[in-house]
Amino acid sequence: MSFLSVEEIIKNYDGVRALNQVSLHVRKGIIKGLIGPNGAGKTTLFHLISGMERPASGKIYFKGTDITSMEPYEISLLGVGRTFQTLQIWGNMTVVENIMAGMHTRLKEGFLSCGLWLPWVKRTEKEALKEAKEILEFLGLLGRWKWLASQLSFGQQKILEMGRALAMKPELILLDEPAAGLTATEVRRLAERICQIRKEGVTILVVEHHMGLVMEIADEIAVLNNGELIAEGTPDVVRRNPQVIEAYLKGARVDA
Amino acid sequence: MVDTNQKEFRKRDLLYVVPLWLLSLILPDPHLDHLRKESRFRRRDLFYLGGLLLLPLMWPDTHLHHLMVLAGINAILALGLSLFLGYAGQISLGHAAFFGIGVYTTAILTTRYGFPTFVAFWASALVSAALAYLIGKPILKLKGYFLALATLGFGEIFLVIVRESHSLTGGVIGIFGIPWFSLAGFSFDTYLKQYYLTWGVLIGLLLFSKNLIRSKIGRAFLAVATSEDAASTVGIKVAQIKLGAFVIGAAFAGFAGSLFACVMSTANPETFGLNLSVLIIMMVILGGMGNLYGPIAGAIFLTWLVDILGKYQEYSLPIYGLILILLLISFPDGIGTRLNIRLIYLISYFGRKKRREKAEL
Repeated sequence: MSFLSVEEIIKNYDGVRALNQVSLHVRKGIIKGLIGPNGAGKTTLFHLISGMERPASGKIYFKGTDITSMEPYEISLLGVGRTFQTLQIWGNMTVVENIMAGMHTRLKEGFLSCGLWLPWVKRTEKEALKEAKEILEFLGLLGRWKWLASQLSFGQQKILEMGRALAMKPELILLDEPAAGLTATEVRRLAERICQIRKEGVTILVVEHHMGLVMEIADEIAVLNNGELIAEGTPDVVRRNPQVIEAYLKGARVDA
Repeated sequence: MVDTNQKEFRKRDLLYVVPLWLLSLILPDPHLDHLRKESRFRRRDLFYLGGLLLLPLMWPDTHLHHLMVLAGINAILALGLSLFLGYAGQISLGHAAFFGIGVYTTAILTTRYGFPTFVAFWASALVSAALAYLIGKPILKLKGYFLALATLGFGEIFLVIVRESHSLTGGVIGIFGIPWFSLAGFSFDTYLKQYYLTWGVLIGLLLFSKNLIRSKIGRAFLAVATSEDAASTVGIKVAQIKLGAFVIGAAFAGFAGSLFACVMSTANPETFGLNLSVLIIMMVILGGMGNLYGPIAGAIFLTWLVDILGKYQEYSLPIYGLILILLLISFPDGIGTRLNIRLIYLISYFGRKKRREKAEL
């Protein structure tokens, strides 16, 4: 059984079929790109995998566990992190607190011990702060660790959101359009970072419209169109697939 | 870390400065409180603590002492609610019911069963928290208006139960003769002693809340308030966090109720209706949401305002309403928050300018 497998998922929204019999398999340790025109069902698939919505039929397995009807927090406890297409950053917290909140499940204290500020709470908080700063350093946001997250620019907030997902030490991370709204240089740095995250053994599933980025970093690409999977394979194979060119790129050549 | 403040400085803010400065001597700085967690206890806190200790000694007026006791009790209520309302971002219109549970638990335990007040004090908080747990489990699945209505309903149901169960609560007449709060033979029998008792409890609970807010629980509160979806994707159990905030708020209300019963020595259903619930919410909103000192400032201010307006009988409600409206217009994010943003900004304005120039070089 593969690392993440989506089996014949069907999802309807008020009579509109968003996903129709989609099956997707992701092997451990790879970067898998998920592309398709707007409304193809990419984000819906992410919502289903992260448990925020339920499919009408079909199953989703993560590391052999059936996660189809699990709560979002249960799924994240299994090691699935994600970012959102529409930013869901906690603007009322500082940058470093956003990252530390991402570590929530790894800190084991309860309400009472936190309220009484028992010695071990102090220790773990200190360690969490240190680790959060390391993550921020990796993301290049360390200089702004005390800022409110709402004060960061859009691009930085996107990166912060990725950092938050990383903070929970996931095994699989779902990135929903990480490059949307970023400048060319930011996209370059993002590509480097995604590759670096992969090197640390994290499997990545990425939805992206930025073709250059996907073609460059992804080991495999799946193409969705109108809720159906129309192609799957290495970037080269997908790029030459006539169906993809027809449906998604409307005849235009796919440039890497 | 004043420059985390994104509020812009405007010329007309200069007009605020004098009253602001005067008020800020009384009002603590609530803003950015959770951002500065590294320093647990600041010099400013010491200043407030000193002021608090000396106030009744410098102003030996028993009416003021009594008022400050009530303000302290209200502040405990507001502090508990601010965790739920200001931090976790949920609304409760039934907070007074938990206060009532605290009052009656103490009243019944001390007058009927002869428990010492100190035991009743803790029992009140426990009973309130336990009931909040039972009520909150189903109710907190609701959001926004629906949660407000459900908690409103709970408050009213509780009131009816108290009025109708004569044998236990004494019905509308209530319970009389609750003893003074006493600890190891020391009885808190004057307003001055009760003042120190109430504010001592408040400081304890404030420290507890402060710790909570700067720990992972506080981050989870803020996360749930802003985006439940994002919170659940990092493994925060949204339902559990909301329930936790609700239960802690109720436990605080239980403490407050117990103190209230001991101070007033009566328990009466009229004291904790919807009026009180709304008053507590006003304290939190007026003081400033999302910080811990704001609700305390709001509680002192509103307790004092209600007392002053009591002299004007029939005009009191319109004046009260007018003052609240004006305050909310001029301080939409709370008196405490607003004043301090302005003041901190002003104080640091030139320093920041210099630092910014240095950073640009």
